[in-house]
Amino acid sequence: MTGNISGNAYALTILSPIKDGYTPDEIAYADLIRDRLQGWNMEHNSPMAKVPQTYLCRFFVLDDVYTESLPGAGFLDTLSDLLPVVPDRTRRNALPKEDHLQSRYLVFSCNFHGGAGGDLEGYLRGMWGAIGDRIREIWGYCYGFEQVTDADTFITYMKKCQLPAALFFNGSNDEPLEEQLKALYLKQELAKFAAENQGLDAATLRRNFQAFMQRVAPTNLAEPTWPAGKYRI
Amino acid sequence: MSNIAGKAYAMNVITPIRWTTAWLNKLIFWIALKRPSTLRGLITLSLIHYARWVIIGKNQFPHLDSSQPKEKLHYSYMLFFSNFNGSWDQYVDSFTFAIPGGLDLFWKWNIRYPKSVALTPFHHYIRYNQIETIHYYNAYPLATSNDVKSAKAVKDALIQFQCQSADDESDDNFLQRYNALLRGLQHDLGAMHPTPIVSMSAYQVERRKRWHDGSLQKEIAAQQAAQGGQNHDR
Repeated sequence: MTGNISGNAYALTILSPIKDGYTPDEIAYADLIRDRLQGWNMEHNSPMAKVPQTYLCRFFVLDDVYTESLPGAGFLDTLSDLLPVVPDRTRRNALPKEDHLQSRYLVFSCNFHGGAGGDLEGYLRGMWGAIGDRIREIWGYCYGFEQVTDADTFITYMKKCQLPAALFFNGSNDEPLEEQLKALYLKQELAKFAAENQGLDAATLRRNFQAFMQRVAPTNLAEPTWPAGKYRI
Repeated sequence: MSNIAGKAYAMNVITPIRWTTAWLNKLIFWIALKRPSTLRGLITLSLIHYARWVIIGKNQFPHLDSSQPKEKLHYSYMLFFSNFNGSWDQYVDSFTFAIPGGLDLFWKWNIRYPKSVALTPFHHYIRYNQIETIHYYNAYPLATSNDVKSAKAVKDALIQFQCQSADDESDDNFLQRYNALLRGLQHDLGAMHPTPIVSMSAYQVERRKRWHDGSLQKEIAAQQAAQGGQNHDR
């Protein structure tokens, strides 16, 4: 699935069919999943912040597909819309058809650092290791998930739900997440340092800068740095 | 529901495409992959972190279990996912103004695609086919895509600066190098701050702020005490 890889970034697209059932309280499983995901918004940070190498990801429930009822710009659309001389049956036949899904789908779309080879298994293993319980909470009502018991079965399950990207555009830098977070920390700190140390004489500036470099330790990715998902200064 | 995580917006669009022409779209994407110059227009839109197009054949929706009903669809479907900075209007309009031809090429075979110009029908098309995100996570909500890219330049420059330092360097020489460092990074520096909140998760962000300053814990304790008092009265 090379279309999923661009540089060192990987585009993971998962559609997991949700069981057509209800809880004893008569809540549809799809709505329960929606509620639980909504609950994630209320936590101090997303559980996904614990999953190594996650740049950005999203979850939503695909209830159904849409029927295109708005005017289009295709030749046949325009012709059938504009010519009243076209027999009504022909005109109706040219209208878009109505489709409905038989199942609702949990959609998980994720961009992560997978390296040049696109290490999907490593990512999914890290995801299961970091938030296995939270994964069960969301995917527990999907078809086939009852076979997931550990990291290996989770990887197998996710691969069954995976769809290949036809085109993946990587507009960011695709370094490992810890490199990116360290770089953002350094950018913020250097901007602050530059503003606070304007106009100093060379010797004082040099002393301050040496102390600054010692404090920010540019090559030490572990600390000090920004944690994943940091949302306040 | 939250399409926004910090400075990033998550867009999801699903549009039908005739199965007879879906392969043409796949071919266009394949050519775009093989000839990266076709994506030059997208690269100019530096507000994009990542974007992707996925085409699901009408019989390719994942089928995991024999008890799961099989899909019976007339069309194949194209999913578009984007992570970008700024507002919905800014993004959609910048696509229209910067790469209208490319946009039309990618959506050309989709049912009732109105083309990217004029704007209003295109806005209606995207809005009609957009699906709201329930949970959106961003590893760096304080940063834009340009911040992530420029931060790398800052980090690399700082490390290089450190490598070039010498103990016997004069202060004046240091000052010269320091000024050159800042001059070289003037397009990459700039402090990051949280954005004004414009999402439906604003309530939660406010709540987090109160949690950080300790007032939320007091509110919850007061609420619990009040509830306890009410229960006791009963």
